Amino acid sequence: MKASPKEIKIMQKMQPGTITLSGFLGNDKRTLNEIIEDDFRLLNALEFTPEEIADRMQYFTDKSWNAFTDEVLIDDIYQVETEVVRGKLPCPFGHVGIYRKAITKFTNTRKNISLSWTSLNIHLIRAHGFFEGKGSSFRLEPAELVNAIFDR
Amino acid sequence: MILVILKDIATLCSISGVLAIILVIAHRFLNDYGIVKININGKKDINVKGGNSLLSSLADNKIFIPSACGGRGTCGACKCGITKGGGPLLPTERPLLTKEELITNTRLACQVKVKSDIYINIPENIFNIRKFNSKIVEIIDYTYDIKGVTFKLDAGEKIDFKAGQYIQLITQPYAKMRQSVSRAYSISSKPEEDDRIQLIIRYVPEGICTTWVHQQLKVGDEVSFTGPYGDFFLRDTDADILFVAGGSGKAPIKSILDHLQVVGTQRRMTYFFGARSKKDLYLTEEMKAFESVFEYFRYEPVLSQPKAEDNWDGKTGYVMPFLKETIRDPQNTEAYLCGSPGMIDAVSKALIAAGIAKDKIYFDSFG
Repeated sequence: MKASPKEIKIMQKMQPGTITLSGFLGNDKRTLNEIIEDDFRLLNALEFTPEEIADRMQYFTDKSWNAFTDEVLIDDIYQVETEVVRGKLPCPFGHVGIYRKAITKFTNTRKNISLSWTSLNIHLIRAHGFFEGKGSSFRLEPAELVNAIFDR
Repeated sequence: MILVILKDIATLCSISGVLAIILVIAHRFLNDYGIVKININGKKDINVKGGNSLLSSLADNKIFIPSACGGRGTCGACKCGITKGGGPLLPTERPLLTKEELITNTRLACQVKVKSDIYINIPENIFNIRKFNSKIVEIIDYTYDIKGVTFKLDAGEKIDFKAGQYIQLITQPYAKMRQSVSRAYSISSKPEEDDRIQLIIRYVPEGICTTWVHQQLKVGDEVSFTGPYGDFFLRDTDADILFVAGGSGKAPIKSILDHLQVVGTQRRMTYFFGARSKKDLYLTEEMKAFESVFEYFRYEPVLSQPKAEDNWDGKTGYVMPFLKETIRDPQNTEAYLCGSPGMIDAVSKALIAAGIAKDKIYFDSFG
């Protein structure tokens, strides 16, 4: 599928070195819309919406926020720590606002799944259903994410 | 038949080509706004080529309005007052402006296009912000992920800043990076050493600038930055001082203490530095040494999760429980906090609960 001019503009902002060092698309050869649509289909099959996933991720980030950089055990299963570093990042889709460089490190101890996400990841999933391209440093595989954060 | 089709294609291509040329010419003439004037604070006029953003037009004239998003219209940091001109408010600006700012015609300098004469109001201290060229003269590894980097300004150049302020480091293209970005870092050296600055920079995975600093820069490299920025600096009072910092938040506090060592102070000061374990501590001996410099100064590192091998016999947990016992007179105490927003929120709440006025708590929350 050919990318629209708007999509091309957003994808340019997602290239390495524009907003983040390695960009948002990884080595994915699909267009932005194809990435989003494929992940949306996966989510549908899993019976989750991007909002539900973003809410759950935000829950863990918020719970660990007050522990500063320390690890906290949530609901006896999830080990979470959120580290905030200097600076903020804009949304590559051009959304108003900038997002703190807060990195949440998450482990589901029962399933032994470890994941990391940023404040921008939560926004990208909630507002755009975008889990980043395959091979990207902060790509979150929807099935693995659902499995880990909902302990399914 | 084929000839007819080819002829039609050629005709279409010719028409498209002509239209494209007309568009290019029209674009050039329609967007030629000539030279226009920017009047600043009713005092100073600068002439600029019309059509560019107010932010970039001012930067071209070495007037640097702070911007965290690089002029993308998403951070709202580049607000300035416009008294005349500037065109109508754009939809991209509205969400970032308060009701009061809308009434007072505050605009985002990155969104306003300078197409005709424009009259603006900006704080006077912005005129002190300049672009500096420098050479790296020292890189120190403070911890496994924190470096201290000293930048010596070009010969004859001096920077005038207040201890606690920050600069914006400008990266050069490297690896996959094809463009420069600017990132903010607090100055950790004292203002009296005005031919150089030191920055304390923590490595951030995927960070464009911190990766550049940690993996690319070496002594002798030439680097540019703009500054100084920010309103986090020591207030000139005789109040007791509480410093609280974490991670690279030590930088502005170090600058303030180095400055106080030069100018002298009788103020009672306590400095809490929060870290997870011993490997996250740095400059401890230097900070402890201030205890023999000042009449009353205490440096208290606090570890939240010391490891067994740390053999830590100092304070443990978070800094909040230790604050109240340190405060002599809440009415006459100022707090200076630098670190993550979670830490700033929690410490601010504890300080307010201990009786310190909210407007006496100054912070730099890693903006």
